[in-house]
Amino acid sequence: MSNSAQKVRLSEIFLTFATIGLTGFGGGMAIVALVERVCVREKGWISSEEFLHGLAFGQVLGPFSLNVCTFTGHHLRGIRGGIIAATAFILPSFLLVTLLSWIYFTYNKLPQLQAALKGTNPVIIGLIVVVAIDMARKQIKGGGGLLMAIAAFSASVFLKLNAAWILLGAALWSLCSSYYRRRFT
Amino acid sequence: MTSLVTIAWIYLRIGLMFVGGGYVLIPLLNHIMVEQYQWLTLRQFLDGLALSQLTPGPLAMLATFTGFRAGGVPGALVATIFIFLPCVVLMLLVGRNYDRLKKIDIISSTLDGLLPAVVGLVAAAAWNLGVASLSGVKEFLILAIGFAVFKWTNVTPMVVILVSGVVGLLLN
Repeated sequence: MSNSAQKVRLSEIFLTFATIGLTGFGGGMAIVALVERVCVREKGWISSEEFLHGLAFGQVLGPFSLNVCTFTGHHLRGIRGGIIAATAFILPSFLLVTLLSWIYFTYNKLPQLQAALKGTNPVIIGLIVVVAIDMARKQIKGGGGLLMAIAAFSASVFLKLNAAWILLGAALWSLCSSYYRRRFT
Repeated sequence: MTSLVTIAWIYLRIGLMFVGGGYVLIPLLNHIMVEQYQWLTLRQFLDGLALSQLTPGPLAMLATFTGFRAGGVPGALVATIFIFLPCVVLMLLVGRNYDRLKKIDIISSTLDGLLPAVVGLVAAAAWNLGVASLSGVKEFLILAIGFAVFKWTNVTPMVVILVSGVVGLLLN
C-alpha cells in the first residue's frame, strides 16, 4: 500500500468486486482471469507480479477465487479493503444460491440455468486463455521458466495433482535454484 | 430448526479443514450434512452441489444451500460467513506480511521464480474447463469469438459474459 498513490475508495472496491461476483460464471480461474483483467489491466490497482504472488498464496490456502479478491482488496486498503472485497465478491452468489435454494426446497425443482452456462463457458475459456497468454508474456523468461510452466500444466492436466502441491514443489525448486545462484555465482 | 450457534460452529470447523484444497469439501459436507445431521438426502445434496456450481462463487457456496436447509435465510447467512471466515482471515494475514516478506531477498526471488508454475496452472484450468464443456462446433465458435474479443478489444469482460449468457439461453 503506497501512500503516494491516491487511495482507492472503499465504495469503488465494493462495486468492482460485486460486479465480478455477479458475472464471473464458471468460478475458480474464471474469477482469477476477471480480476486480472479488471484490477491489473484496466485499473492498474496491483502489478502483475504481486497479483500472481497473491494467486500462489491463494491456491495454497483453499478457495483461491475468493482469496485473490481478499488479497487485492487488502493491497488497496488494508484489512478493511480485504474484508469489503471478499464480502462484495461473495454477496451476489450468496443471494443467488439463497434464492435458488428457496425455489428448490419449495418446488423441488432445479432451476434451468444450465442453458445460459452453455454460452458463458466457452467465453470464459477464451478469457482464461487470453489472460494466460498475457501472463506468460510477462512472467516467463528463458527456458527454465518455460519448462516450469509446462511441468505445472502437465502435472495438473495429466497427473491431476492438486494445485497446492504443484506450487509447493515449484516454490521448493525456485528456493533451491536462487540459493544455488547466490552461493556459486 | 438447528440453532444458529450450532450452525456457526459446524461451518467454522469445515472452513478450517478445507484450507488447503477445495475438493475435500464435498466428502466432508456430505458426511456432516447427509449422514451425521441428516439435514439433506443424498439426492438433495447432489442437487445442491449442481446449484452452487451455477454461481460465480467458490464450490463452498454449497454451505449457503445446506445452511438454508438447516436454518432458513439466517442459517444460510451464518453458514456462509463462518465457512469463509478462516480463509479470509488467513489471506488478510498473508497480505499484511507480504510487503515485509517481499523485502527479504531470498523470499522475493523464490516467489518470482515460481510464477511460471502459476501461469501453467492458469492455462491448465482453461484446458480442464474446455475438456468438460466444449462439445460441439457451436461452442468452439463462441470460444473463438470470445478469444478475439478479449485479445484485441478492451470491452469490459463482464459485458461479454452477460451477452454470452443470453446467447447461450437463445441457442439452447
